[in-house]
Amino acid sequence: MTQPSSNDKNIYLPKVAILDRVQDEIQEVKTFFWHFENPADQEEFKKFRPGQFAQVSIFSQGEFPASLPPSPTEKETFFTVRTVGSVTSGLHQLKAGDKFAVRGPYGNGFPMEQYYGRNLVFVAGGIGLIPLRSCIIYALANRDRYKKIQVFYGSRSPRELMYTQNLREWEKIEGFEFYTTVDRGDADWKGNVGVVGSLFKKPDVKVPVENTTAFVCGPPIMFRFVIKDLKDMGFHDRDIVSTLERYMKCGVGKCGHCCIGMAYVCTDGPVFTYEQIKKLGEDI
Amino acid sequence: MRARIVDKNDILKIVDILRKDHEVIAPFQGRGRDSFFDVVTDANRDQVKMHLHNPYYPPKRYVLPHIEKLFDIDQAKMDVKAAYVEPKRAIFGIRSCDVHGIYHLDRFYLGRDYKDPYYERLRRGLFLVNVVCTDKELDIDNGCFCMCANTGPASTEHFDLQLMDLGDVYMAVAGSPKGEALFADPIFKRGDDSHVQRRRSILNEVRKHFKLAVNWYSAAVRYITTGQVPEELWAQVGNRCLECGACTYLCPACTCFTVADRKVDGKVVERVRLWDSCALSGFTRMAGGHNPRRAVHDRRNRRFFRKLAHYFVQRELSMACVGCGRCIDVCHGDIGMPSVVEIIRRGCAGKENDSTIIKR
Ligand SMILES: Cc1cc2nc3c(=O)[nH]c(=O)nc-3n(C[C@H](O)[C@H](O)[C@H](O)COP(=O)(O)OP(=O)(O)OC[C@H]3O[C@@H](n4cnc5c(N)ncnc54)[C@H](O)[C@@H]3O)c2cc1C
Ligand code: SF4
Ligand code: SF4
Ligand code: FES
Repeated sequence: MTQPSSNDKNIYLPKVAILDRVQDEIQEVKTFFWHFENPADQEEFKKFRPGQFAQVSIFSQGEFPASLPPSPTEKETFFTVRTVGSVTSGLHQLKAGDKFAVRGPYGNGFPMEQYYGRNLVFVAGGIGLIPLRSCIIYALANRDRYKKIQVFYGSRSPRELMYTQNLREWEKIEGFEFYTTVDRGDADWKGNVGVVGSLFKKPDVKVPVENTTAFVCGPPIMFRFVIKDLKDMGFHDRDIVSTLERYMKCGVGKCGHCCIGMAYVCTDGPVFTYEQIKKLGEDI
Repeated sequence: MRARIVDKNDILKIVDILRKDHEVIAPFQGRGRDSFFDVVTDANRDQVKMHLHNPYYPPKRYVLPHIEKLFDIDQAKMDVKAAYVEPKRAIFGIRSCDVHGIYHLDRFYLGRDYKDPYYERLRRGLFLVNVVCTDKELDIDNGCFCMCANTGPASTEHFDLQLMDLGDVYMAVAGSPKGEALFADPIFKRGDDSHVQRRRSILNEVRKHFKLAVNWYSAAVRYITTGQVPEELWAQVGNRCLECGACTYLCPACTCFTVADRKVDGKVVERVRLWDSCALSGFTRMAGGHNPRRAVHDRRNRRFFRKLAHYFVQRELSMACVGCGRCIDVCHGDIGMPSVVEIIRRGCAGKENDSTIIKR
């Protein structure tokens, strides 16, 4: 343990992290395994909940929010990040052993305890799987707490499926229904072709509606279609949960950038029920 | 609250007393309407003005500087140091509306789960000497509507010391133990009932000189909170916004900032925060170009929504508009706060069930 310093209560203070290894996911997306230089920071951080996020710093480039794809039940901490601009590409240039900085965890996260005894349905589109991965692994680690668990995952093409190692494992788990689909297949693809919602209509698929929470994460267009499908099946707005993505500068409710309607996404979210999202009173 | 009387000729001696252990900021007259806050020195001390138009550039910069260093970062050593400054500072001559502006910032930056350590340090050593607006020509501008915001012209709280011009003497009211401690100095003399009477009659007279004395805040708050403002009204407001951001920069109760890293030399980086504005199109833009608040009117909507929605007033227990009127003067499109409140009130009034208005 290090001595507490005047830095300790600084809500903006990024703490030094060391990159352990980098794993390719799909084009422009990599997973970065890391740990805090200070073991006390690591221990503190590991109390995060599924659905929370952290602020990642590459000094001289800046900071960006990133979801926490690991479940707190897993050993390692990591981010899965797509290069889109200056800070994310700064992270992509790091090699094992390099240092960067992280602060968090932030946000409300998914209230996983509230869903005890319920069916869980996960619907992920593209990199929307990043925040949902945390919940899925968490639910599997607490399997007896939940009833039926279903995962629907869609990507543009077979080459754009992430976390392939997890996917292969998931396919083998008994009593855990896992379905993938791609918008466009290729020569080797034997699975479903079509948008993620098309999976709901397959004859062997039975989505439970009663006593079920549906998690939906993906690009805005996918979100809209999946919501419609779920509503058609009879889902109540409050039983659909999602995470909102907003331009964020501070993560702690101060900079104002993430403010949407009545909410600060960074502190009131990023997890909202669809019922809440509709009441925010602004485009998402 | 304890009060004393100070002779008019002694009033700037309060500045001298404070200067012994504070950096003192006070308002000065520029050219024409222009006025500004500056550090008091031996050279300019006699030019400190008790009555003048409230400076456009608000005193909020003494607790929330427009550029503020957060960290000194040594990249090679990965060493991050908080760049704290904790001055002992006094603002002499801060107006009631701006006192409430600082109170609003207190609520926002210190009153919630996450306390802002930079704001906390700038605020901790800050001493506020409020001057009541009594001069009808100089203090009270056309745009002043503190009476509607319930912040002025004489604040009832949140200052350390308040001074009010009673003609030949000033009344000094202590608002905190630190303020009361000043009364140990012999310039502060005991007053009597006649001073209290005078204070009351002067304020009654002053209140008659506000051009904007009735403002329909509560109606606007209700229409906005209950989502009754039609899209066309917001569009009407938005179409008049030139996206300059001035209203937000000059607003004593606006809080938004952005953060940037800047290289000082090869190895050293400073992380700084800068005032930002929800009027600017980059404010909500996300990676990949998706901007959820694309239309100008959506962004203007944001400023007024954030300031007037009941939810936010409750959240901070303080409203994010203190009625200073700066945004009125500075807006090219005439969508300062009172105009917008008026547009909303007029636009919505007919559409609401009238009986609910009468009941309230
Ligand atoms: C709660 C949350 C969780 C997230 N989780 C993940 C995740 O797990 N993995 C992931 O890959 N991404 C995630 N994101 C998105 C990620 O934060 C952005 O991609 C990242 O901020 C882009 O930063 P940059 O510096 O690389 O881009 P920049 O160089 O800043 O900009 C790239 C482009 O986006 C615009 N832009 C500028 N600044 C930003 C900014 N801060 N955010 C977004 N756009 C900006 C610019 O106009 C430019 O066109 C998350 C976002 C949020 C809010
Ligand atoms: S709004 Fe009121 S308190 Fe502020 S400067 Fe005008 S008269 Fe004074
Ligand atoms: S919104 Fe306008 S009148 Fe209200 S505090 Fe801000 S600048 Fe002053
Ligand atoms: S990210 Fe700064 S207020 Fe939410």
